[in-house]
Amino acid sequence: MVAYHNLYLALAVVLFTIGAIGAITRRNAIVVFMCIEIMLGAVNLAFITFSRANQSVEGIFMVMFIMAVAAAEAAVGLAIFVLMYRKRGTINVESLNLMKW
Amino acid sequence: MELIILLLCGGLTIIASLLVIFTRNTVHSALWMVTSFFFMAVLYLLLRAEFIAILQIIVYAGAIMMFVIYAIMMLNLRQEEQGPVRKTKVVGVVLLLVLFLELMVVGVGRGLLAIKGPVTDQLMAKFGHVAVLSNFLFSDYVLPFELASILLTAGVVGAVVLAKQKSE
Repeated sequence: MVAYHNLYLALAVVLFTIGAIGAITRRNAIVVFMCIEIMLGAVNLAFITFSRANQSVEGIFMVMFIMAVAAAEAAVGLAIFVLMYRKRGTINVESLNLMKW
Repeated sequence: MELIILLLCGGLTIIASLLVIFTRNTVHSALWMVTSFFFMAVLYLLLRAEFIAILQIIVYAGAIMMFVIYAIMMLNLRQEEQGPVRKTKVVGVVLLLVLFLELMVVGVGRGLLAIKGPVTDQLMAKFGHVAVLSNFLFSDYVLPFELASILLTAGVVGAVVLAKQKSE
């Protein structure tokens, strides 16, 4: 039986790059957030591939904890966006430059 | 057979992810994201990680994207993003493409180590994926598991405190 682990890894790399490019080029904070989720998904795919290739469960548990952290991050992040919108009237990430030196 | 499904779903995942980035409408972006998560769940099934595939659909495509769509509905994002493209972004994209090539050559090109651990396909077929996972989860990984529940509680409380309207 042939295993296509390298193909899965290549797919993960492609998805990670797509997510990273989106995260630095888009200006809408919610789209940036979704691009970060794409990057997390790509890392999850790589972890599952390693787990399958090495016949271990460590990768699967990493993915489960990444999912838990992503859920907490989504709750807090979107609350911050709502707050940001209420205060500034926009969630354009380029207009949030208060802490820029 | 696996190769056909892998190429099909992998290609569709890439297309859906590209559409997330390039669609101007935020709601359409979110819906393409759900599509992308579903195809990724199929890839997890191909890798024999059934439990993770179900979690992917419930947690990502269900819970997290519901959060996102609620947030989009609560905010008025009608105004178009505009303005000139900054030079730093062009530099960033070029650097990311370099990173992509590096990962492809060093990470993917060299292949995987042939380590064979204890969790074989026969074990999975005998006890089932979830039973094997839960044996590990509630013995070796019980502390991270409990910590994850504390993290989620703290996250939800933090979200409510942040988004709550000040009543004066």
